[in-house]
Amino acid sequence: MEVITVLIPYVLRGLDVTLKVTVVALGFGLFFGTLLALMRVYGGKMLSNTVMLYISAIRALPHILLLLVIYFMIARIVDLSPFWAGSLSLSIISSAYQAEIIRGAILSVPPGQMVAARSIGMTRLQSIRYVVIPQAIRHVICPWSNEAAIVIKDSSLVYVLGVPEILRQAQYYSGRNPTKPFNAYLAVAVIYFLLTFLTTRGLDALEKRIRIPA
Amino acid sequence: MAPKQNIILRIEDLHKKYGREEVLKGVSLEVKEGEVVILVGPSGTGKSTLLRCINQLTVPDAGSVWVQGVELTDPETNIDHARQHIGMVFQSFNLFNHLTALDNVMLGLMHVLEMDKDDAQDKAMMELERVGLANKYMNYPGQLSGGQQQRVAIARSLAMEPVVMLFDEPTSALDPELIGEVLVVMKDLAVGGMTMLCVTHEIGFARDVSNRIVFMEHGVIVEEGSPEKILNNPDLPRTRQFLGKISDLH
Repeated sequence: MEVITVLIPYVLRGLDVTLKVTVVALGFGLFFGTLLALMRVYGGKMLSNTVMLYISAIRALPHILLLLVIYFMIARIVDLSPFWAGSLSLSIISSAYQAEIIRGAILSVPPGQMVAARSIGMTRLQSIRYVVIPQAIRHVICPWSNEAAIVIKDSSLVYVLGVPEILRQAQYYSGRNPTKPFNAYLAVAVIYFLLTFLTTRGLDALEKRIRIPA
Repeated sequence: MAPKQNIILRIEDLHKKYGREEVLKGVSLEVKEGEVVILVGPSGTGKSTLLRCINQLTVPDAGSVWVQGVELTDPETNIDHARQHIGMVFQSFNLFNHLTALDNVMLGLMHVLEMDKDDAQDKAMMELERVGLANKYMNYPGQLSGGQQQRVAIARSLAMEPVVMLFDEPTSALDPELIGEVLVVMKDLAVGGMTMLCVTHEIGFARDVSNRIVFMEHGVIVEEGSPEKILNNPDLPRTRQFLGKISDLH
């Protein structure tokens, strides 16, 4: 009972931070991930290989390590709050994963679609914009919801930079109430579960809504 | 309809290699306005490659292609612009899967010809009517039979008002009972005076509507002539042998 009446309201103080970090990480991650994916698929050999190397490097390292490295790099160059440093770091990490998800979705569009678009005189850019991307979006939602679930939970990593998101709040609580360390974390677990569950349900619904009738 | 004298399509000494394999070994061909030319030959002899080299979907290694006096193989030519006037129909239809029949036909009108939406819609409906599918305008490709999809694909090409239509085995992927409806549409086009270059094994269609049959093998044109001559009395035994085989099938 204490979990619901006391702890969840307490921990919820960090919820807006968790949500902001997640939205920034996923949003910027989607934007940069899309750019990286387009460079990977349509960018020619040089660009494609460069991007591949960059993606491989990011995917090869633990997120927490990247977060710390990027935070101390960025923080030295420009004056960024821990919130922005953490969120942007997460978005850089996520963009690498999203790039591969989006690349896969683009490649799953049959090549004949591009050929047909070019054959009626559409430019390459128009073909990508009006024929390939709208179909790739349908293929992207399912794997993307997986990435969204991961980023929601990865938002907790910014606590190492001192950003007061829900896990940090739970720690404060536990620090002040050392007799019940478990309950605060249980409350956090419930919130993460709900966030992830609602997000993936929502994306599932979206996927069904825009499914191509057949 | 008897072809006129002006040349719509001119292909000169076209070469194309895939890796080490030379698929086209110097092909030259002219198609006059209103002419219907059928390309036949065993698979892997470069018929499809030849079609794709015409509108530069595949870039030839050497040789040149002119459509209405514009050289498409010239790097200075705006190829996107040139392709508007060259219709192409594919074996696998390649309708845009995420769009309705109507939107499939409208897409090029709006984004290539830059028509406004209402005009594009009217024009697209007219083209769907022409292929007998006005009642299916709201259907997605997945809700259409193969024959219907191919007819929408033809409408999509026709909407761009092409000066020549290229058909790449338009009926090869269809169930036998759906082939007829596509051939009827193609026949109407031919009778209406459309300039057509078709890769097909439909000998009946070739006999009825074509002006010329071109037999290709191993990357070169082996023999060409009127349908009567090529189908009944070809010069080369190889042409006779090949056409004999596909006639048996039909």
